[in-house]
Amino acid sequence: MSNLLEGGKQLEQELTPEPIIAPAAGSLAIHGLLAGSLVLYGILGGYFHRNLWGNPGAGGAMQVNLVSSALPLPADQPVNNNVLATESPSQAPAEPTPKAKQAVDETAIPISGKQAKPKQQQMAAKTPQHQPMPMQQNRAQYGEQAGSSMPRAMQQNGSSGPASINVGDFGSRFGWYVDGINHKMSQSWVKGEVDPRTPRGARVYLNFTIRRDGTPADVQIDRSSGSTTLDRSCQRGVQRVDTFGQLPSAYNSSTLKVSYYCEY
Amino acid sequence: MKAFSRLLPLFVLVPLCYSAAQLPAQDWVQAGTNNGAARIRLAAANFKPVGGDPQTPALKATFDATLYSDLANAGIFDLVSKSLAPQSTPGSPQEISLPEWSAAPANAVMVTFGALSASNGRLVVYGWLFDARNTVSPQVLGKQYNEAASQDMARTVAHRFADEIISRLGGGVNGIAETKIYFVSSRTGSKEIWVMDYDGQNQHAVTHLGSISLSPRISPDNTRIAFASLGSGGWAVRMFSLELGRPVNFPAGTAGGSNQSPAWSADGSKIAFSSSRTGDAEIYVADASGGNLRKLTSFRGPDVAPTWNPRTNAQLAWVSGRTGLPQIYTMDMDGANIQRMTDGGYAVSPSWSPNGQFLTFSWNRKYGPGAPGGQDIYVMDIASKRWLQLTHEAGSNDYPSWAPDGRHIVFERSSGGHAQIWSMLADGTEQHQLTHTGSNFMPNWSWK
Repeated sequence: MSNLLEGGKQLEQELTPEPIIAPAAGSLAIHGLLAGSLVLYGILGGYFHRNLWGNPGAGGAMQVNLVSSALPLPADQPVNNNVLATESPSQAPAEPTPKAKQAVDETAIPISGKQAKPKQQQMAAKTPQHQPMPMQQNRAQYGEQAGSSMPRAMQQNGSSGPASINVGDFGSRFGWYVDGINHKMSQSWVKGEVDPRTPRGARVYLNFTIRRDGTPADVQIDRSSGSTTLDRSCQRGVQRVDTFGQLPSAYNSSTLKVSYYCEY
Repeated sequence: MKAFSRLLPLFVLVPLCYSAAQLPAQDWVQAGTNNGAARIRLAAANFKPVGGDPQTPALKATFDATLYSDLANAGIFDLVSKSLAPQSTPGSPQEISLPEWSAAPANAVMVTFGALSASNGRLVVYGWLFDARNTVSPQVLGKQYNEAASQDMARTVAHRFADEIISRLGGGVNGIAETKIYFVSSRTGSKEIWVMDYDGQNQHAVTHLGSISLSPRISPDNTRIAFASLGSGGWAVRMFSLELGRPVNFPAGTAGGSNQSPAWSADGSKIAFSSSRTGDAEIYVADASGGNLRKLTSFRGPDVAPTWNPRTNAQLAWVSGRTGLPQIYTMDMDGANIQRMTDGGYAVSPSWSPNGQFLTFSWNRKYGPGAPGGQDIYVMDIASKRWLQLTHEAGSNDYPSWAPDGRHIVFERSSGGHAQIWSMLADGTEQHQLTHTGSNFMPNWSWK
């Protein structure tokens, strides 16, 4: 009996439903919270999106800066030393915007006796003072054309000098000797010595003296090309020359000054 | 080749800041280069015969042909072909019309012309060189020659005039038209030393020793020839005086063993040669008189064929077999600073260029059984060790020797069992055969 009673109790215990509502509600709440936080994270992450690549300290990634201006790559465009054909835009100030005309009330009745003219004259007098300023800034300071006009002026001036007859016309009288300098230099200048990254068309200008016996002396760089290897190779080219040949016997002076360029 | 550098306005710049009193007695010239300079377009007009001497036409023909060939061989001119040149033969500056020569088809930049006459056994030549583009003062050169009338003299005068033109337009480097080439020829039966003009003319024997003479080397002053000769005591370096016309004493070169391949220093004071008096062939240096002998190398393996750096007189290049096959090496005069120049193959017969910058030598880069290599002439830039092959698939080439102008190389080429002397420009172009009789070996270009 007691056994039966105990069995009935057990059955009763087993048949009694466990409390399900509270745990289920808790579980639902937790899942809902999780889902909600995910959605929230997605929404908020979308609003505050950031790419962390490349940032300092972000995941140990390296910081990369653009170095395009520092890359020592050869320039495609030959260097142009001509100030009149430079690639960079002109530094000239933009043309001044025309001043707005003083509004004249046309409907106003002119006051007799009042003259507005003196003011206009002042303006006209001012403008020519301002205009030449930007023109001077943009003017070429040097160039081939300026050089060519110099010897003619010198020949007139030099007629009173001690070496009046010869000063300034070596190139026209002894063109063959100047050609000889070119030949000799093109043989002795080794282009292989020049750094291949030197831009095409870069020029170095040298000054040197040719003595009576044709030997070069006083080799100096007049204007660097910006490439030390080109500068040095051109200098070496002159130094490698034993003699350019005796100066022409009809030429009276003891030395000849040469301005020479090597173009890569 | 751009005409750019040629068209350069050749401005003359004088700084304006100088006052008239301080004006330096010198000119300014502006010039430059980019892609090198083209060869000078030169026209050589036929000289004008003057007078009615029967000798004149023959002498004039020799003179014209020699002058034309000298200028064409110089290596610095683009010579106007005779068929393109105007028909006129101007005999003096008054007779020449420069526009005629500078216009197409001649397009000459420079014109050489003149007059030639033979009378009373004298040959008189007037020669000029004019700049065809310069209308104001076109004369570059004017020369007059007065020599005995003979074919040889006509050729010599043409050589001298050509050398003047080459020196004037070639940047002060003397021409080679009057230089000689010494070589070995077996055309008389025994191998003797011979000599010829640089263009192959005028060949004649120098020695008549009746034995075997090899590797002639002319002294820088053109008075003596050092050569290797087989005598009773084996191979000896001997000396032949051109002034006396007989062998002279050279005691350093006659010791026991094999003494070979002499080489003069550029100042003519020393001779380097190889000798095996100690059993192994080594390089020795002695004074030109034969005294003061010194040994420079001391390695196992043969050391032969020395050549001096004519620019510094302080370095030698030679052939050494210390690593097996012969290779080219350079060293200082005291035997220090040894550098190997060739990286393999079979390299022999070095010759140092007059400006000291290059070596020329004979090289078989793929030497060995079954290897397809040929023995060819190469030029190497000593500083960079970069080389240039000058001959290609034409016989076996050996014994190159620089001309004093540094623009020409003479060498020996054997094909079909016969060795002959050839010359070429130092870039491998303009190859000409100079000898055609018998077998001829081991050329050596004179120093001047």
